[in-house]
Amino acid sequence: MTGSLYPKLQQLIDDGNTVAMATITMVKGSVPREVGAKMLIHPAGLHVGTVGGGCGEADVIRAALDVIKDGEPRTVRVDLTEDISMDSLGVCGGIMDVFIERCGSADAG
Amino acid sequence: MDLSLLQELNRALRGRKPVAVVTLTRGESATGMSVGEQCLVDPAAGAASMGPLRLPGAIAGQVLEIISGRESKALHIRTKEWEGDLFVEVHAAPSHLLIVGAGHIAVPLASMANLCEFQVTVLDDRPQYANQIRFPTADQVRAAPLVPTLQAMRNAGQLDRHTSVVLVTRGHQHDVDCLTELIGDDLAYIGMIGSKRRIRAVWELLESEYNLDRSLFNKVHAPIGLDIGGRTPAEIAVAILAEIIMVHYRGPQAAMSMRG
Repeated sequence: MTGSLYPKLQQLIDDGNTVAMATITMVKGSVPREVGAKMLIHPAGLHVGTVGGGCGEADVIRAALDVIKDGEPRTVRVDLTEDISMDSLGVCGGIMDVFIERCGSADAG
Repeated sequence: MDLSLLQELNRALRGRKPVAVVTLTRGESATGMSVGEQCLVDPAAGAASMGPLRLPGAIAGQVLEIISGRESKALHIRTKEWEGDLFVEVHAAPSHLLIVGAGHIAVPLASMANLCEFQVTVLDDRPQYANQIRFPTADQVRAAPLVPTLQAMRNAGQLDRHTSVVLVTRGHQHDVDCLTELIGDDLAYIGMIGSKRRIRAVWELLESEYNLDRSLFNKVHAPIGLDIGGRTPAEIAVAILAEIIMVHYRGPQAAMSMRG
């Protein structure tokens, strides 16, 4: 029952934006979202969707900004397995792989 | 993502056509595929795909299998020619919610179901209730006789395994008429409003007057909804939608905090 980010992606590209698309491709253990969940990362911070929020998502956004710059698609592993305590932020107990690709005008592909 | 592929994908999504986007997420191949290359697979067109990524026949078969399972997943491939990972992103036809009866519960239910990205149809035989002004987010609002419209929807293939039906008409006789029409259909979910006592009377009526087998009633969610203690129409709509989502994901009935 998940909708699609693709109409929004088309709109962003039509408006001349270059963005990154992040997709959860693998999960192990407890993670905040499911395989297939997606997020569009916009260089000016106008992101769409979520791959779970918190620190894990912040890592994905950082990597996505690099992908927007260099155009190299890549997988980042988000590790949420630190000790569960009040000091560590964003701990669910699992890990997930997130594939990030560049979409838009700077994309030769 | 390739722009022509994106356009083709959006066309398929608008047409509510099940398709998959296949992405090479790791590994290079002898045939020169590189990470990030994609193709669009349309099961209606068999194993044929569109886009720069070319899938060998055996792998295309596995992709079709994943599409029919309706869940996106990674596919690890190891053949003589190459080794790598594909991600198969399935875009299944969206879940459809049919609300029969456009009264007090239908209004919040239609709008919440829209938020949860259901395709929503509202049916009532009273045009003053069944109209787009009352249901601005519904995909389809039909003001038409109930049972004949259900039959027409069935003939149009709109009552399938991905359809949930909520019977909340203005009177139990209408609910019962719709229920007897739909009881043989293979639906994702069917639920009917009514108190425990009222529902018991309905089952007795269906057994004695309609000669329906009692086992048929097991699949009907009645009284409808999860027991969350709600009272207002909107709260009851939450309970109904929660039950539909629970059935969809085959989830447990207890609250998250009560799970062991």
